[in-house]
Order: sequence, then C-alpha cells, then structure tokens
Amino acid sequence: MGYLKYLAFRIVNAIIVLLIVTFIISALFVKVAEESNKSKMYEELMLWERSEGAKIKQSQGLEAFEQAKAAKQASLEDKYELNVPYWQKVYNKAIRTLKLDFGTTSMPIFGTNNVSDIIKVAVPRSILLFTTATIIVIILGIFLGVRAARHAGSVFDRALSIFALVTYSLPMWWTGMMFLLIFAYKLGWFPLSSMFDPQLTGWAHIKDVIWRLALPVFTYVFVIFGGWAWTTRNIMIGTLQEDFIMAARAKGIPEHKIIYGHALRAAAPPIVTMIIFALLGSLGGAIISELVFNYPGMGRLYWVALQQNETSLLIGLTYFFTVLYLASVVLADMIYGFLDPRVKVGASARM
Amino acid sequence: MRWVDIKEGFKEFLDEFKKEKTGIAGVILLIILVLVALTAPYTTIPNLPEKWRNSQYWEDNPKNVPPTWYNMFTSQKLVPQEVYYKDELKITQLNKNTTIIEVDYVLPENYYFGPQGIIVKNINVTLNSPYEVPTISVYFERPDGKTVPLLVNKQLSSSLTVAVGRDSTISSNIYIWLVNVTEGREITMFEVPLETILISDMVAPLFAKVEPGMNVDDIIENPQPLPGTYKLILKIDNPAPDENKVIYDDIKVTFLGRTYGTMGTDYLGRDIWAGLIWGSRVSLTIGILVSVLSTIIGLVYGVTSAYLGGNADEFMMRINEIFASIPSLPILILIGATAGHITLWFIVVLLVIFGWMGIARIARSMALQIKEQTYIEAAKALGAGNGRIIFKHILPQLLPYAFAVIALSVPGAVIAEASLSFLGIGDPTAVTWGQILNAAQAQAATTKGYWWWVIPPGLGIAVVGLTFVLIGTALDKILNPRLRRL
Repeated sequence: MGYLKYLAFRIVNAIIVLLIVTFIISALFVKVAEESNKSKMYEELMLWERSEGAKIKQSQGLEAFEQAKAAKQASLEDKYELNVPYWQKVYNKAIRTLKLDFGTTSMPIFGTNNVSDIIKVAVPRSILLFTTATIIVIILGIFLGVRAARHAGSVFDRALSIFALVTYSLPMWWTGMMFLLIFAYKLGWFPLSSMFDPQLTGWAHIKDVIWRLALPVFTYVFVIFGGWAWTTRNIMIGTLQEDFIMAARAKGIPEHKIIYGHALRAAAPPIVTMIIFALLGSLGGAIISELVFNYPGMGRLYWVALQQNETSLLIGLTYFFTVLYLASVVLADMIYGFLDPRVKVGASARM
Repeated sequence: MRWVDIKEGFKEFLDEFKKEKTGIAGVILLIILVLVALTAPYTTIPNLPEKWRNSQYWEDNPKNVPPTWYNMFTSQKLVPQEVYYKDELKITQLNKNTTIIEVDYVLPENYYFGPQGIIVKNINVTLNSPYEVPTISVYFERPDGKTVPLLVNKQLSSSLTVAVGRDSTISSNIYIWLVNVTEGREITMFEVPLETILISDMVAPLFAKVEPGMNVDDIIENPQPLPGTYKLILKIDNPAPDENKVIYDDIKVTFLGRTYGTMGTDYLGRDIWAGLIWGSRVSLTIGILVSVLSTIIGLVYGVTSAYLGGNADEFMMRINEIFASIPSLPILILIGATAGHITLWFIVVLLVIFGWMGIARIARSMALQIKEQTYIEAAKALGAGNGRIIFKHILPQLLPYAFAVIALSVPGAVIAEASLSFLGIGDPTAVTWGQILNAAQAQAATTKGYWWWVIPPGLGIAVVGLTFVLIGTALDKILNPRLRRL
C-alpha cells in the first residue's frame, strides 16, 4: 500500500503545481499580448480611417463617420479581445491550455497555423539532435565515470576530473561557435548551418541530416559528458567504500561483477534520476545552441515565437516544457521509490 | 561559538586548504581576475561603457582586423595601426596662401596589402569670409615615382574628415588613376563601375605594383604589395588667410592597420581587448552577487521549511516546486524583452528569483536531519524561539556547505548572464562578454572566420567559471559534512 499511496501523492502534487504554473504563465503572456494587441488595434483603426473612413466622411458627413468609426473600433476590440476583462482572459486561456487546445498563430510556421501541429513538427527534430546526443553522453559518461572510480587517483582519473571541471565552466553555445569556427570555417568538414535541405529525399536526405547533425551532436557531447563522468565517479567512489563491496570482494566475486552488479546497482537511484531529467529535458531543445547552429528545433521555435510575438505558441511551448519537467519529477520519484525502498517508507510515514 | 574557536577553526581550515593544489590555483586565478577587473580604467580606456556604443569614438580604428601578434604565426604579415600627430608631420608654408603637409609612411618587405585606410581629421577652420573657403587637395606619392591624386580642391571645414578607403569619391579617383596608368586613357567619374568601388578594397591597389599594361581588375582582385616609402601630401589653399584661419595643432593622420592592438577590433572598430577587460567586471560582480544571494535565500528558505514542518513545510515546498517547474530561460527572455531598459541589478534579481530552488531543497533535507538532534530539543525546552533556533543553531551547521555551493554556482550565474546578453537582453550601458558575442553572432563572425572576436569572450567566461569551480571543489573536499551524502 505504501508505494501506491506514495505514487498517488506525488502525481496529485504534480498536477496541482501544473495548474498553478499554467495560470501564472497565462497571466504573464496574456499581459504581454494585451499590450501588443492594443497597438495592433490602433494601427488597424488608423488604416481604416485613412481608407474607408475617409470615403464615408466625404460621402455621408462627419456624424456618420463618427458612428462608423465607433462601430469599427468595437468590432476591432472584439477581434483582439480587448473588451474582455484581463482575468477573464487569463482564466479562459489557462483552461484552454489545460485542455491542450493551444489555439493558432497569426503567421504560419513550418507551413501551418495550428500550435499543436507546429510543436509536433519541432519535437522530433529536437529528439533527433538532443536525445541522440544525450544517449551518447549517458553511455560515455557512466562508462568513463565507472572506469575513473575503479582507478581513483590514476592519470586517467585526474585527466577526466580536469576535463570535467573545464567543460563545466564552458557555455555550450560558445563551444558551438568555436567548433563552427574550427571545423566548419577553417577545415570545412561540416556545414555552417544545420538547417536541412528540404529538396533531398531518401538516402540523400538521411546522409544530409547526418552530415548536418554531426557538429551539434559532437558539441553537446563534448560539453556535457565530462560532468556526467565526474558525477558518476563521485557516486561510485562513495559506494565502492561501503562494507558490502568489501564483503563481496572477500567472497571472491570477480571484480567486473562487483563493479557492474553490486556497486552500480547500489549507486543507481541518483544516476537514474539524472538520466530521466536529461532524457526528458532533451525534448525541449536548447534555445541558444539551436540559434548558433541554425537548427530548426524546439529552442529556435521558441525564439521565433518570441520575436514574432506569437502568444499562443509561447504559452503552448512553455506549457510543454513545464509538463516535461513535472513528468520527470514524478517519473524520477517513482523509479527512486522502486530502486530505493527507504524513500517511500519515509514519505508515507510522514503522511 | 567563542571568538577563539572561530579563529582556531579558521586556522585549521587554512592549513587544510593550503594542501589542495586545485584550490590554491583557483585562489590565484581569482586574485588575478579581481586585479584585472579593478584596474580596467587604468590598463585600457577609462569610462569605456560610455564610449562603447558611440560609433564615432571608434572611427579612427580599422574594422574587423585581427590582433597584431597574429603576424607571428603567418607568412603574410599585416601592418599595424600608425598614428601621426602634428609633431611627426612635415608642415611647410609655401607662401601666404598655400600650406603643404607631408607624411612619410614605410611599407616594409614581407607585408601584404598596406593599411586598411588613411584618415586625416581635426583640421580646425575658422570661417569669417564664406565666399573664399579654403580648399584641400590630397596626393599620394608612391615609391615607384607615381603620384595618385586622391582628392582635388575640396572645400575645407572643421568637420571634414578625409577617409581613404571609406569615401567613395576617393575610391573613384583611385580607380581613374589605375585606368590611366595601366591603359593610358582618361576616364570620367561616370565611367567608374560603382559595384567595384563599393565592394572591393580600393586601398590595397594604392600600395600595390601598378604598371602600364596590367589589368585593373587583376590589381584590385589580387594586389601585389610594393614595399618602400610612401608620402601622403596634403595641399591646403587658403585664398583669404587674414579672414579664414586654418589651424593644424590638433591634426591627426591615421594609417589604419590591418591588425590592431592586443585583441583586434570588431565591425565598428571597437577595441576588443578593452571590452574584454571591462567585461570581467560585470561577469565577476553578477556571478558572485547572484550565487551569494540565491544561496542565502535558498538556505534560509530550506531550513525554515524543514524546521516548521507539517503544513507549512508542504506549502513552502509547493511554492519551491512552482518556481522550479517554470522554464527559466524562456521566461527570463520574455521578461527581459518586455521590460524595456534593463539594468544589471534587474538581471541579478531575475537570476536570483530563478536560482534559489535547488539549494533550498538540499538545505531542507540537511536541516531535517539536524532538526532531530538532541541539542535542538534542548534549545526548545529552554524556550528559544523559532528564529533563534533557525539562525543560531541550524544555519551555522550548514555554513561550510554554503561556501562550497556559492563557489560552485558562480559558473552557472556567469553563463546565464552571458546567455541573456548574447540574446540581446542586457544592460545597454554596460560592456559584457555576452554582448560582445551577441554582436559577433549578429555580424556572422563565425562564418567569416573572425576568431579574435569569438574566442576571447568565451574563454573569459570559461576562466571565471573554472576559477570558482576549482575553489568550490577544494572547499567541498575539506568542508564536506557527512550530511551531504545523505
């Protein structure tokens, strides 16, 4: 009963947080949209005054013009939802967002106006780049980290630690610019822009995609895997000093089995948590790195939405990011409770 | 805690810290960084942030050129910047009406292209008789004996700047001269191809081999440098020397380098080295402020939450989760983009608002352990209030951990500030590394190969980050309380 109750508690908790965050996001974005809509409305009204309004003024006189102007303004206010009270709008937007009805954008992006469809186009691209890279990072990081922990204090261990410390302080987008400078500009091995060529199909398309993805993926792996290896190493060193490892060694279990069977199993909970956050986080892309590489994923989409003031798209994307994060939290809690039973006992005892 | 205990504890800590090589390296780096930041006005240009966006201030600098030391690594050497003031010029008064100013410029062997341009400015003219305006003619004498008329009888005023390489009239005159020498015919202003003048480098041919029979386009495309002594001649005619005074005291003649200074220049001719040095101030200040503030807030919040327990704890943790689940960078960009004028303080506040949650969680879990200790119970039994227990008994236990956290969260804050600046959201009255990179990205510096503009700011960010990571990991090793493992 403990585990299920613990799980239910975590999920309800996440849903409450999601509700509140959705309202906050809606309040924030609706406020921004109201400002831009107001100026848009006045612009349109001015335009009308100069064209149709002038005609009415000429043919029917000033009074009719004033009437027509008031009617036009009312219809425009209706169009831009300026006559609806602010909190009413926030509430409507939040409810619609929670129902996954994100609305439409004013300009088509990726050939469609529907926010859900736009996100559906961008997510696979971010997965293609960042999830692939994250998987490489996880495998490389855990493997190297475990190796460093086994030979703690060796040259390999020290080199890895230094590399991790250095890459931890590098901005990923700047590293991307550097690599573009070296590998794309100077050596010409990779393209300067990672935007796909839409004319290619079949095998040529796949080759084009791989060629264009190589540099961003390499950058991501280069900057991130050191930190992963270092964290894994620290966790593993702590675990390798525990008594049960010594007992296993005393029993004569092969070293390979001790490392991967006993120690890594015991060190799993925090590592699994990291994996979940990294994998789900990778769906959201990276705003600046995608800008640097000119890659049309989620991050760049967010930037485009900000530049073009697409409120619906912004709310949709932000909601998507929030859901991803909360899903990671719940999933991590779930697996943590599964791998380390002490956690759920502690939680249910408190309840 | 008595004062003696603190002194003792601190001495012990120092002794241990001295054994950590990485920590010592970090501290040395930090001292260097602080010194660099503090001495910025003396080692570079004073009040740089005020001048940074004023493109007129950088007019006398070449644009997009690499640093001077780059010559050590290439066979094609590029000339450095050279500036001449009144004392280095030869000024001869031919007669009452005519003055000749001569400037000698040497293009040594092995150098390519010559300067990027020539700028003559700050000739002061007091005009009392507007119908007899003084005029200036500019000639360029080359080592092969040929003379190029760059500018003939142009009206002279105080605001006049002769800019060889930027002025299209001068570029046209160079083209006309090129045609005249190579093909032997005179063409007019209207026969000069405009695209060539606007797009091509028209200064390089001035310093290149030009002989009859050569092709003009070839010379412009691929100029062969002609080393030797060149002479820039300014001839100033003043028809009414009694009414109109021409004064040369402030005159400044600049041969724009193909290389410049310690770190080259950007697209406005700004000295990137000065920008880098000044940028370190912002990075250090924001990095340290943000990490200190968010650590303090996180600690107090987490400990309070743990200590109060029950519903208050649940409530405070929900608020924590709400802040944690709002995607921070997008929201920061949104707030920054709509806030109008942004100050550095505003950026600090924003980064703190979205930066305290992780620390609060860890502090809470640590405080939950401490809370159960008997001495807390004893303090409660003695009638100590909540505030006293939190600030006097629980928080001091977490302090060592706090120092490590502060150091380790500086890189994140520095990168976050740089990221915002990189996206164009930053204080327009400050010079920051992120803004330098923003300009580089906007001008597509990476795709043009301007490495001196892209690499140094990022290295600066990396060095500041590394400094604090080194200190932080050393502190962590020494101060790491057992609690942290739990």
